Amino acid sequence: MKCERIAELLPDFLRGTLERERTEVVEQHLSGCAECRDEVAVWSKLDLLPAVEPGPASRERFRAMLLAYQAGREAREPAPAALPNPQPRPARFDWLRSPLAGLAWALAMLLIGIFAGTAMSRLAPRSEDVAAMRTELSSVRQLLVLSMLQQQSATERLQGVSFSQREEKLDPQVLSALLHTLRSDSSVDVRLAALEALSHHPGQPQVRSGITDALQSQQSPLVQVALIDQLLEWRDPGLAERLRGLEKSAGLNPTVRERAQWALSKLQ
Amino acid sequence: MQRRFEAGAGIEPGMNSAPDEELMLQVRNGDSEMLGVLFDRYQAPLFNFYARLMGDRGTSEDLVQEVFLRVLRYRASYQPGTPFRPWIYRIARNARFDHYRKSPPQERFEPETAAAVAPPDSAQQEQEAELLHRALQQLPDDKREILILARFQELKYEEIAGLLGCELNTVKTRVHRALQDLRKAFRRLEQGIRHTGGGSAGTDFSLRRSGHEV
Repeated sequence: MKCERIAELLPDFLRGTLERERTEVVEQHLSGCAECRDEVAVWSKLDLLPAVEPGPASRERFRAMLLAYQAGREAREPAPAALPNPQPRPARFDWLRSPLAGLAWALAMLLIGIFAGTAMSRLAPRSEDVAAMRTELSSVRQLLVLSMLQQQSATERLQGVSFSQREEKLDPQVLSALLHTLRSDSSVDVRLAALEALSHHPGQPQVRSGITDALQSQQSPLVQVALIDQLLEWRDPGLAERLRGLEKSAGLNPTVRERAQWALSKLQ
Repeated sequence: MQRRFEAGAGIEPGMNSAPDEELMLQVRNGDSEMLGVLFDRYQAPLFNFYARLMGDRGTSEDLVQEVFLRVLRYRASYQPGTPFRPWIYRIARNARFDHYRKSPPQERFEPETAAAVAPPDSAQQEQEAELLHRALQQLPDDKREILILARFQELKYEEIAGLLGCELNTVKTRVHRALQDLRKAFRRLEQGIRHTGGGSAGTDFSLRRSGHEV
């Protein structure tokens, strides 16, 4: 039997998941083929690569993250309604709240997609037509994000946030909605996801200032830690001052204080 | 439902023998403490996955933390019945891609872990381990990854296929090709050592440190 034929069987043979009959076929081939035999030998030799152990600090870091997370979930959050929505949605989009509308949008987008695809394949449209179509599609998707961010269910809001990450550029209105979510969503997960989504838009001035402000108002330690990390990554100019202020605030979660001190040491 | 709560109550992490999937469902339903048990089970395999793939302890540790943070964040997306291991490896791969997107890999690294693999006065096995490690690092990223997934991470070929989004047969073919390349790289390195240093690991190390390719 040839090497190519054996090649199909070898991966299962190597893991011992090949049935008996075929195993014998492979073994027979190996006894007469030095190259294939050497492959098996190298596969076994991989056992020589020692396993590396994560450092002892790893578990402590995990515990701190988990505690911060739990503290954040237990902490009484300010009611979302207490903070005014910076840009109230126009009433004409109210129907977007229903899940059915989400489906309708999805269908509409699919149709637009098919239409655009067919149109583009049949005739070569001018590049500005294509660009216009893309812009239109993008704004449809962003409307969908806006509607999803208003949903009752945290899972749906989470989907809305992750949906926003498909767009390279976000409308100011969507950015505001994400910032509002970051400040006052009732779910820590949704706030964290909003931060991640916003972190892809460092060029927008409102994003930076919004995230900096959120550091002061944020109640959840986990989100606070994530905010500190993000601002540190951006080397935000006012960060050192903000961190010193935060560090002094009474009743600050110890993990957050530690993170702030760590960030300050990184800034120096 | 009742059983689930009993399983988690008052049991030290480490002693819990519940399946991963059951623990993850508890995490999903708000019992984040159960993530500690999953952390104990998966931090070492994930750390090794990253360390073998990227060769950098610090980044590997950071990424392991990132994986568990993401598990918490996206726990609502865990569907009952989903095998946990491939699920967490999917998160692990995504975390690595995002890491590369933020800080693209620099030139070919000289892995830190290699130093721990073979001290200068090592026996033949240790030298072979060092050469294997280097041969592995010479493979392109995707080949190295599939070999590591198939060899060390206890994932079935079917699960790897799901993870990489390709057919089962494609996975097997790719594992085999990667192994062929690894074998060639390994034997080439071995030849190089025989020709240059009479096979001593000490020579190997001095060459590596002075930056010459053997």
